[in-house]
Amino acid sequence: MKTAFFASALFLCVFCSSSCQNPPVPPEVEKAKSQENDLWRAGAPLYAADEYARYLESLRLAKEKLIRQNVRLRWFRDYKEVRSDYIVILGQGDALIQKVQAEKRSQSQDFSQRLGRLEERMGKIKALTQLMNEHAPVRESLARAEVVSREAQILLRNEKYTELAPKLDLIDGHIRQAEEALFSILARYADDSQVARWRKLADDTVSESRRRGTTVVLVNKLARTLTLVKKGKEVAVYEIGLGKYGLSDKLYAGDEATPEGRYKIVKKNAQSRYYRALLLDYPNEYDKRQFALAKKKGLIPAQAAIGGLIEIHGGGNDFLTNGCVGVENSVMDRIFPEVAVGTAVTIIGSLESVDKILAGLRISGS
Amino acid sequence: MKKFSRFLILGIFVVSLFSSCAKQPTQAIDAAKAAIEAATKEGATVYAADELKKLNDDLQAAMDEVSTQGKKFFKKFGTAKEMLTKVQADADALKATIPAKIEAAKNAAIQAQTEAKAALDEAKALLEKAPVGKGTKADIMAMKADLGGLETSFAEVQTAIDGADYFGASAKAATIKEKATVISDQVKAAIEKVKGKR
Repeated sequence: MKTAFFASALFLCVFCSSSCQNPPVPPEVEKAKSQENDLWRAGAPLYAADEYARYLESLRLAKEKLIRQNVRLRWFRDYKEVRSDYIVILGQGDALIQKVQAEKRSQSQDFSQRLGRLEERMGKIKALTQLMNEHAPVRESLARAEVVSREAQILLRNEKYTELAPKLDLIDGHIRQAEEALFSILARYADDSQVARWRKLADDTVSESRRRGTTVVLVNKLARTLTLVKKGKEVAVYEIGLGKYGLSDKLYAGDEATPEGRYKIVKKNAQSRYYRALLLDYPNEYDKRQFALAKKKGLIPAQAAIGGLIEIHGGGNDFLTNGCVGVENSVMDRIFPEVAVGTAVTIIGSLESVDKILAGLRISGS
Repeated sequence: MKKFSRFLILGIFVVSLFSSCAKQPTQAIDAAKAAIEAATKEGATVYAADELKKLNDDLQAAMDEVSTQGKKFFKKFGTAKEMLTKVQADADALKATIPAKIEAAKNAAIQAQTEAKAALDEAKALLEKAPVGKGTKADIMAMKADLGGLETSFAEVQTAIDGADYFGASAKAATIKEKATVISDQVKAAIEKVKGKR
């Protein structure tokens, strides 16, 4: 009886010790745990969500198999199948890491190209703002786009692609605002019929100069040039400055636009506050009709006057006039003796349509 | 009788030895999960993503241990309970650190906002007193317009702070400061250019 008692106690001790000891596991189990961590860090849930989910499911099933082996008495455990499963999972994980890295490279390239195209559009628009004084709303939108673009560059560098996508959309939105502001200013310059009218004005002026053997002045607002034409031949081209809203056609006093149309010099002032000045006969009959029409339609303030005192004057070509055409004093020295009271001065918007330039902005979209 | 008593005592000993380990640590599991949930709600996903991942991994390891013991005939949940208790403690400790991290991120965002404002004010002041001379007026006009855009963007920094997007606010403020500083440098160069010609 004593023997039976101690035999039972001994059996129980052996049984308890065998049940309580930690079972050995294949080394692939720990490797898979580390690999799962690596995949998470690499962003597998983001860049290969489906494959990552399948990988986790395989891991879960393998773990269950492992647990089933672990609960057996140690002499009855067989980890062969478990090890095979984990080896397959490790292979899956390696392939998944490759895929995640490839996906990140692809996204990096894609976002980088998209950001590059957006920045190209911004550059083109910025260059166009050099053509005009009234660029404030365009540049303000561009500045906002540039702020977001800089943030996007940082996100791209840090591989934060989920945050990057909405930033690119935001940049695109600001650029579109800049484009709309630009188009509203330059709309007339993309209107073929308007450009055709300007060309005709210019051609008629040059033809008159040729026919009469006279000197005429041709001002091109978009090109920022003043051309001296003698007997139908271009003899000199000079750079000019315009009003703050110089690209617009002058409508009333204080609008700071430079008028368009056919004018004549009515006075030569050699002692102007702007060095020397050539006073034009703005407003002509056409201007008066347009002013009356605009007032009737309520397009201008009821108390607005039509304005006047439009000149070609010295003082420089890089400052904002109130609507006059500004030139350097040295240029004024060359023009002043060549013209007289009665000399024709034709002011046009442009000889070329900007349609292609504006279309190019829209085509090279993000 | 004596023999019977001995076997009875032995039997009672064995049963009591293993019955104390037999209950699943449900309370410990719930407590650990609740602690992780609390840390997540506090903001661990944003401010301590790596630590949160480790907690979830540790919880999973503890649950695996529970699962392993649950399948045994003589169950012993002592180790699993210890693991769960540690997860709960770690989660509580992590949760305690989050407010300080949020506060630090918020302070950094406010500091960046202040610096951006200072840079904008400096650029604005320089542009106001920039002498308009040959070759500078058009540039100054353009810079004023650019500054206008930056000021509009600056308002978004406060929006981000109000929405607790402190990292986003810091990034935006830093960019605005950078661009405003560029404007200031350009204005200073323009001022020097005019001074040099006088």
